[in-house]
Amino acid sequence: MSAATLSRPRPPSGAPVARRRRDSSGGWREAGAHQLFLVPVAAVFVVLFVIPLGQTFYWSLTDFTGYSDDVTFVGLENYRTILSDPSMTAGLSFTLLFAVGTTLLTTAIAIPLAVALNQRFLGRNLARSLFFFPAIPSMAVLGLVWGYILSPLGSGVLNSVLDGTLGLGPVPWLSDATLAKLSVVLVGVWGGAGWHAVLYLAYLQSIPASYYEVATIDGADAWQRFRHITLPLLTPAMVISQFLLMTNGLKVFDLPYTLTNGGPGFATQTITQSIIVNGVGQGRYGMASALAVLFTLAVAALSFSQLLVSRRIERRVS
Amino acid sequence: MSRRRPLLSVFVIGLACLVGMPLYYIVVNTFKTQEEMVSSPLAPPTSLHLDNYLAVFDQVPLAQSFGNTLYVTAGAIAVQLFVGATAAYGMILRATLFNRVFGVLLLLAFVVPGQATLIPLYRTLVDTELVDTLNGLVFLYAGGSIFCFFLIQGYIRTLPFEIIEAARIDGAGVFQIFWRIVLPLIRPILVTVGIFQTMWVWNDFILPNVVLSSPENRTIVLQVYNAVGEFTTDWPAFMTLSVVVLAPMVVFFLVTQRHIVSGLLAGGVKG
Repeated sequence: MSAATLSRPRPPSGAPVARRRRDSSGGWREAGAHQLFLVPVAAVFVVLFVIPLGQTFYWSLTDFTGYSDDVTFVGLENYRTILSDPSMTAGLSFTLLFAVGTTLLTTAIAIPLAVALNQRFLGRNLARSLFFFPAIPSMAVLGLVWGYILSPLGSGVLNSVLDGTLGLGPVPWLSDATLAKLSVVLVGVWGGAGWHAVLYLAYLQSIPASYYEVATIDGADAWQRFRHITLPLLTPAMVISQFLLMTNGLKVFDLPYTLTNGGPGFATQTITQSIIVNGVGQGRYGMASALAVLFTLAVAALSFSQLLVSRRIERRVS
Repeated sequence: MSRRRPLLSVFVIGLACLVGMPLYYIVVNTFKTQEEMVSSPLAPPTSLHLDNYLAVFDQVPLAQSFGNTLYVTAGAIAVQLFVGATAAYGMILRATLFNRVFGVLLLLAFVVPGQATLIPLYRTLVDTELVDTLNGLVFLYAGGSIFCFFLIQGYIRTLPFEIIEAARIDGAGVFQIFWRIVLPLIRPILVTVGIFQTMWVWNDFILPNVVLSSPENRTIVLQVYNAVGEFTTDWPAFMTLSVVVLAPMVVFFLVTQRHIVSGLLAGGVKG
């Protein structure tokens, strides 16, 4: 989202507006009344962000359990425990796999899909709605429905269809570690590809048709037109789309939790699930807080470096 | 460009049908008995079998869950839009150094993932006895105000400031200007932001799952999640519940579609 805010063109008359604003705030009384408008957001900022962030950081250095009042300072002990606990490191690796996997696959599907949906053909609006549909309902409910579809039993829909057409035995979609990871990523892509295609579509529609006409007259074929007109003009959309995919992928919780509940074993457990299970479920506040701190740092580092890389690519392509 | 492309049509619509298959699957199975569903999961229903709907409305306190979700969503959106709009207006009025630094801090807060503050906030709810209440949930969703603030601020900047000046000269007070002039002017962005936040709050699973524990407080998404345990063997009943729960969101989407697409175009949205 911050990518979107940053890439937004500034209003051309920024400077004069600012000057007029300063003049309008003459008089202490009026200035005070104006400042009052910032009180609600300041309250939200302090109560819902500053204080809890401080608490998370402080608790991550203690053995606070929430039940007893005697809190001992343990330094980096919690961090050490996390990095040597297989269930935690499994959560870390699956969350990364999900974020990177959905980002790459969704982008690879959404861009050609957007180009196709931008052509004129019979039933275009129907196709657009169908592709967009998975983005509307709650991902948690869709995860549950997919649980029935991918049920590893012979009665699971996909398994019964595969058995009926190809004669395959029941495939353990959600009970085999590798297949379960793959299933969660693919359902995630199913849920996001149409939404991101519509995002790209919005940018595609702003490309003037004359660009393509001129290129065609100059003898450019379809691939060349895509590579040298469409793709460069889509890079701002790619920056936003991939930033959203990456950050939302890292923060994922609903889908793996409802589809596989983190299983089999810890194969599809996410960091968020570990934080909730440890902190809220078992009252290990210190441990959960340390995990939250590590998670926040990882999200910040990854989103920032991704932003830098895509900015560089944007500059090179366009 | 305008010639028809039957091949493209067939290919894209075929793919779209594959994507829409789960939707077809859940809708079609709500009209079947369990035996029928197991033997032919993808076939169209042979008769209009409505028992599943009757059973679901009978067994699940749907009206209550809908009421809870509606209460939380309405409360959360009202708070978020109020805080976001007042903040955006205040920032425009007084662009002092202090306020600009505060704006940057808000941007940082916006990037902080919810997971980072979840444990202390849960603890706060326990201490203030707001845990397992709908108001506690609304309190947590107030954090979404910062997202609203950024979108509304982007919009307010494009408005002609002369209108506010003129009202001031005509003797309108600061709060009067906000209620009678600024709020009506920024209505388009309030609608867009409100729609996006509604889809988030209504569909959210993580916060209700953490905060709420008593059955009578459940939001509908939570109700579906719990129903899986109750209906483990009765798949058609579960599908029916899903359809009943998904329907309002689909209707909401159809009504607000235009705003969603324009919101996407503005580039200011989250997934």
